Amino acid sequence: MMLWGIFSALAVAAALFMVLPLFGAKTEMANRQAGSVSILADQLREVDADHERGLISAAEAQAARVEIKRRLLALSRLPETKRMDGIKSGQALLVVVALAVPATAGALYASLGSPQMPSMTFADREDERTQRVEIADLTERLLERLKNDPNGGPTEGWMLLAQTYMRMERYSDAAAAIANVTERKDVTSAILSQYAEALIAAEEGIVTPDARTVIARARQMDPANPAASYYEAIALDQAGDSKEAHDLLLARLDAATGSESWVELFVAQANRIGDTLGRDVVRLTSIAPMDAAPSSGPTEDDMAAAAEMSQSERDTFIRSMVDRLANRLESAPDDLDGWLRLADAYQVLGDTQKAQVAYGKAERLAQTLPNDDPRRQTIREALTGPEQ
Amino acid sequence: MIPEIGQFALALALMIALVQSILPVLGAARGNLLWMRSARASSIAQLVFIGIAFLALTRSFIVSDFTVANVVENSHSLKPMLYKVAGTWGSHEGSLLLWVLILAAFGAGVALLGSNIPDALKARTLSVQAWISTGFLSFLILTSNPFERIFPPPLDGNDLNPLLQDVGLAMHPPLLYFGYVGFSIVFSFAVAALIEGRVDAAWARRVRPWTLAAWMSLTAGIALGSWWAYYELGWGGWWFWDPVENVSFMPWLLGTALLHSAIVTEKRDAFKSWTILLAILTFSLSLLGTFIVRSGLLTSVHAFAVDPERGLYILGLLGVSIGGSLGLYAWRAPAMEGGGLFAPISREAGLLVNNLLLGAATGTVLFGTLYPLFMEAVVGTKISVGPPFFNAAFIPMMLPLVVVMGFGPFLSWKRADLKGIFQRLRFVAVLAGLSGLAVWYLTEGGPVLAYLSVAIAVWLLLATLREWTTRIRLFEVPFADAMRRARNMPRSSHGMTLAHAGLAVAMLGFIGSSAWKSEEIVFVQPGAEIAIAGFDVRFDGVERVQGPNYVADRGTLTVTRDGDPVTILYPERRFYLVAQSSTTESAIRSTLAGDLYASLAEPASEDTAASGAWTLRILYEPLVNFIWIGAAMLVLGGGLSLSDRRLRVGAPRRAITPAAQATPAE
Repeated sequence: MMLWGIFSALAVAAALFMVLPLFGAKTEMANRQAGSVSILADQLREVDADHERGLISAAEAQAARVEIKRRLLALSRLPETKRMDGIKSGQALLVVVALAVPATAGALYASLGSPQMPSMTFADREDERTQRVEIADLTERLLERLKNDPNGGPTEGWMLLAQTYMRMERYSDAAAAIANVTERKDVTSAILSQYAEALIAAEEGIVTPDARTVIARARQMDPANPAASYYEAIALDQAGDSKEAHDLLLARLDAATGSESWVELFVAQANRIGDTLGRDVVRLTSIAPMDAAPSSGPTEDDMAAAAEMSQSERDTFIRSMVDRLANRLESAPDDLDGWLRLADAYQVLGDTQKAQVAYGKAERLAQTLPNDDPRRQTIREALTGPEQ
Repeated sequence: MIPEIGQFALALALMIALVQSILPVLGAARGNLLWMRSARASSIAQLVFIGIAFLALTRSFIVSDFTVANVVENSHSLKPMLYKVAGTWGSHEGSLLLWVLILAAFGAGVALLGSNIPDALKARTLSVQAWISTGFLSFLILTSNPFERIFPPPLDGNDLNPLLQDVGLAMHPPLLYFGYVGFSIVFSFAVAALIEGRVDAAWARRVRPWTLAAWMSLTAGIALGSWWAYYELGWGGWWFWDPVENVSFMPWLLGTALLHSAIVTEKRDAFKSWTILLAILTFSLSLLGTFIVRSGLLTSVHAFAVDPERGLYILGLLGVSIGGSLGLYAWRAPAMEGGGLFAPISREAGLLVNNLLLGAATGTVLFGTLYPLFMEAVVGTKISVGPPFFNAAFIPMMLPLVVVMGFGPFLSWKRADLKGIFQRLRFVAVLAGLSGLAVWYLTEGGPVLAYLSVAIAVWLLLATLREWTTRIRLFEVPFADAMRRARNMPRSSHGMTLAHAGLAVAMLGFIGSSAWKSEEIVFVQPGAEIAIAGFDVRFDGVERVQGPNYVADRGTLTVTRDGDPVTILYPERRFYLVAQSSTTESAIRSTLAGDLYASLAEPASEDTAASGAWTLRILYEPLVNFIWIGAAMLVLGGGLSLSDRRLRVGAPRRAITPAAQATPAE
């Protein structure tokens, strides 16, 4: 609210500046001839003064006076300045301008600003930093425990560790953690696709032959694993087989019901590759249904892992999931449902401020949706009054 | 919240600038006084709102608000406070915000202080200023928004380039921009005069304080920049003919020509066309500089072509403003009535030579700066045009200019008696020649050009002093009388003397530190001794020290001369952890006679570092401080001239209340 108060004050100030001339002194127009004459007269006086001080000789002073007087004469021969309008005319235009300036500036701001986003000073974010240190600490302890486990540590434990490393952007560490379990009997296709993700991230997006092998294994175990298909498509694209990559993505999208969380990512990737091939753009609306109840984040595996944790570990885990989503959205901010999920998660965690920001991001994206889209309703309610 | 206030204030400023671009100039054309006078309020409003935006950004830097993308990119929570503040203008976006802030400050300055300017001229001038403002504000908002937000915010920032963590450099952009952008108001005055179709002595007098203020800031900015390069880069050089330096030097050269040309317009009603053209070209070069530095063209022509949005926008602005103003000049300038006639030997002719030589020198620098860019763009080969070209092309043009400078102030307006002047300057010429010979006798080695240059610099210094003593008739009349005459003399003529002498002093610095520099680059073990320029320097070793956001290797050098201790130098190599880069901190023993300059280069290899062996660079630069003393004299001279009350006698309304006027330096 305070922000809008300040905006209004600025807008009013701008409008006042624009109408200020109306209250100005109603002096006559300063004529340029009169101004020039007074300057030349001053020059004449200066010549006299210089002469009195003995800076110039009498002859020099005389010559200078003649020159200045000649200029004065030339000035008086100039045509009269044309008649000026009265001070009253044109007042209406100033009033119009005074209204137009704040209005247009407001419109410009609407396309640029993020009014719902708060300032977060470094000093205010002590908690966040402590939390990050705690997470790093917990991660270390988890790693120690898993390493010292005579049975090699539970698979869920290693996966939790890997996910935390991913969120901390320590991709090689994440890959190393998953590598401990990929040869076990209980390995799933999901674990393998996460392994592939970590390997690719560690190489800054390049699909290495190792990663390619892992992807193949994951697809073999579960041909329906969307993550594995996604990375296979990226691998194909990087290998120069863009057509196959595009076909693969389209085939998966055709089989989708539209409510899956991965659909948007697939559409974006398909369009990126399709663009280089000159193929038609895939529309999200042709796949995704309009009743977007925000789907929840963690997968079944994640939930299974979470079930075996202590309370503090579970909190950390949930936070790490949320942060991961936030990080992903930072790099791919055009994901409306993603922002809604993130906002929802923050709401659940009690972080209202961050939830509002995420809703704000969603609102910007939702502007292109039809007015009766339920998601718009959700956003409106969240932004205008969570108290009601 | 604060960044959003800045964003909104910026949007308001753009809209106000848009109104100011149209309304006052329309009022001037239609004779509507109300619309003309709206320029005053809107100029002030622009300054207020851009000021709010600037403060909002500064605040975000001070409190390390990492929801602002610009703060993330250019700051870090561990950075010392001074550099957090300086980070505001350290980035592309922030420096452009400073650019428009200074633009608005000059506009508001004319609106507030220019009460003696006729309404129509003021309205047109401020409208032209608003054209520039609209162009750059829209550039800022549309392509380089400084208030871009980031969510979720990263926990800490990416630091500022540690090379730029330096007091001299923190103050360098504001001063440089003050000069650069200050010429905008002179440009606006010139374009307004072209629209009106009249330039006269009164116009020149009104413009003069603004030209002086911009010129002084630019001089100070360039000098500070060169001082920074001297003690921070660790090479011991103070000017590299680097494109970034050149683009600030070109407006200075033409600005200097403009300053002198405007004097002729003010006092003799002549050189009108020259003055207007110089005003347009000086600011055009400022714009060109902004374009070259801000478009990424310098890094590589290729990089510019890949992401051309920003570069093309400025290029468009450049084309419109330079093309438009020169077009207007071509159309309207011939209509301006010519000024008084003058003989080939006269003050006017001297200043004409000044204009021509400075113009040609600017053209030379421009050629040397743009040629490599053209080559890369057209032919595709990267070439570099370095000091050899500039030294060979630029210096021979400057030396005759300095010779003429010695005569100039003796010349009287309209026609001058050259024989009389020669007679007065006989001794000065002999002394200057002798000083060149004396330096030749005292030193060994050194190019002939250096001895000639010394003689010319001494000539300028003595001729300038001789002119001053002639003017106050020192040694001709009793001393008290002479002092009385000195007090009665307008401050602007003292300013001229000081500035001309300053150039002579700076020249001695240029020559001394380049022609007679001694340099030793040695690979040393602790205990090693190096002899340089009469000093004995002993290397005592390197120790590791901890700074606020860096660790440093600090060397200890004991300096003696003929066995007597002189000083101990501590050059450092700093490593900035967050930015992962290192800088050199030279240690300098500064005296008027010259600087003993030591810097520590990296150890040759890890093994040698362990054994304590380092590469040292030791220089002795004679007279190098004369450069900055001379630059300070130039700025002070400009200040004296600016404070001259004669600039204000044109204000009839102000003359009634002389007590209200600030009279500094009295």
